[in-house]
Amino acid sequence: MAYMLLILEPTGQRSTRTPAQGHDAYQQMLDYSARLRQRGVLIASDALKSEAVRFGQHNGHAQRLDGPFTESKELIGGFLLLDCHTSEEALVFARECPAAAWATIEIRELGTCYE
Amino acid sequence: MTVTDVHRTIDAVWRIESAHLIAALTRRVRDVGLAEELAQEALLSALEAWPRTGIPDNPGAWLMTTAKNRALDQLRRARMLADKHALLGHELEMEQQFGSYTVETQVDQHIGDDLLRLMFIACHPLLSTQARTALTLRLIGGLTTAEIARAVLTAEPTIAQRIVRAKRTLRDAQVPFELPPREELTSRLASVLEVIYLIFNEGYSATAGEDWMRPALCEEALRIGRILAELAPRESEVHGLVALMEIQASRLRARSGAQGEPVLLMEQNRARWDRVLIHRGFLALARGEALTAVRGAYLLQAAIAACHARAFAATDTDWVAITALYDELARLTGSPVVELNRAVAVAMAYGPAAGLALTDALLEGGALSGYHLLPSVRADLLARLGRYAEARAEFGRAALLTQNARERALLAQRAAACGQHLSS
Repeated sequence: MAYMLLILEPTGQRSTRTPAQGHDAYQQMLDYSARLRQRGVLIASDALKSEAVRFGQHNGHAQRLDGPFTESKELIGGFLLLDCHTSEEALVFARECPAAAWATIEIRELGTCYE
Repeated sequence: MTVTDVHRTIDAVWRIESAHLIAALTRRVRDVGLAEELAQEALLSALEAWPRTGIPDNPGAWLMTTAKNRALDQLRRARMLADKHALLGHELEMEQQFGSYTVETQVDQHIGDDLLRLMFIACHPLLSTQARTALTLRLIGGLTTAEIARAVLTAEPTIAQRIVRAKRTLRDAQVPFELPPREELTSRLASVLEVIYLIFNEGYSATAGEDWMRPALCEEALRIGRILAELAPRESEVHGLVALMEIQASRLRARSGAQGEPVLLMEQNRARWDRVLIHRGFLALARGEALTAVRGAYLLQAAIAACHARAFAATDTDWVAITALYDELARLTGSPVVELNRAVAVAMAYGPAAGLALTDALLEGGALSGYHLLPSVRADLLARLGRYAEARAEFGRAALLTQNARERALLAQRAAACGQHLSS
């Protein structure tokens, strides 16, 4: 079964880091992804850049909005798509994720949106 | 967290960590059976402790430390009870390997190598295919005896005995914990791939409504295959097998109809094919093909599966490409079943007469005399050529040979349809 791990960072956290700290965080996640690949569970993973553009309904019509979206408490910082036997397994992998130290990891099973 | 939650998490940790744990222990104690016992004792400790203390940050390291300390305790006890000279060889070696009671905090740098060695051991040619399958599911997959029994439709005590005997065979033969020597590597690897594909097919053959442990075997085989691809990245046939399994697995949701009846490849609803798996299959296929000029059997089968996967509609299928691949596969394997599949492809690419000629040769050869698909294929080709009397006879012959009731009914229907053409 496929599970998506979404890395939810507190908005503004990235700008508090030095470049070295940022590189270190990214490298930790690369190493983590490599370990998941060795366990045969990684389908895809990457970080997401900070710049965001939105498109949606605003003031009654569809329009583009440019970030940063400071009113949002969280920034989706990255994702991992895993192939796990059970949801407990996905949770174990989330526990081992380095980002758990600086972010919240949301675990979602892939499936329909209407159940 | 409730105790049940913790137990379920421990189950998940076990599935994830046990193979690495057993592999690392086997390197130290040089006996797979003993390694598994130590690992199981560590699991029991976890079941007792973690509901109280919570799941540790590094569960794998916790289990390894516990197993190691258990081994050292055993050694102390043996020392106290016996004369030093009476210590068994493996206990002396354990002492050397384990050293002191230190906590494991770092990832064992040998771990990939150890796991690969464990796979070779679990699939050792000394063991029967059934034993290799059970041992692989146990040591590499981390499945319990009960789970394995349900998955392969065998009684639990039988599986337990199979595993016990397998470990004894390995111990008695003093199978070394080393990678096979270079000259044996290809054949030993073939043995591993055979077991993985057997597990996959066991899962693939499961029909809807059966125990869910059975189709779960496809996932298990895929995971083991993907792990092997990371451990042996330069082996083209490993990538070939993974590619084949990914693409076959992509069709799991499309191959059963509303009543659970099987739906043939050419009739499947391709919107239900899992495109993520197909994409992974293509990636694995490319990796494999980049490593060799001469494709092996798994790579060729994967390439054929990829041709089908590439066609968004059945009518888009590139049968000429598939035929060329079957030509190569038939030359490589000399298998009459492959030759029959080649005949089907030739018929699709170059017309039924060309395909029929190939089946004539198979008929004369006699290798497939009890196999219902030979007359079944011939019947289909004859019908397409308008030779209805002969087609009806062949459909009848096929119906008599098949064991499957549903298939027999279908073949009888087609025979009747030919009859209608004759009377009209």
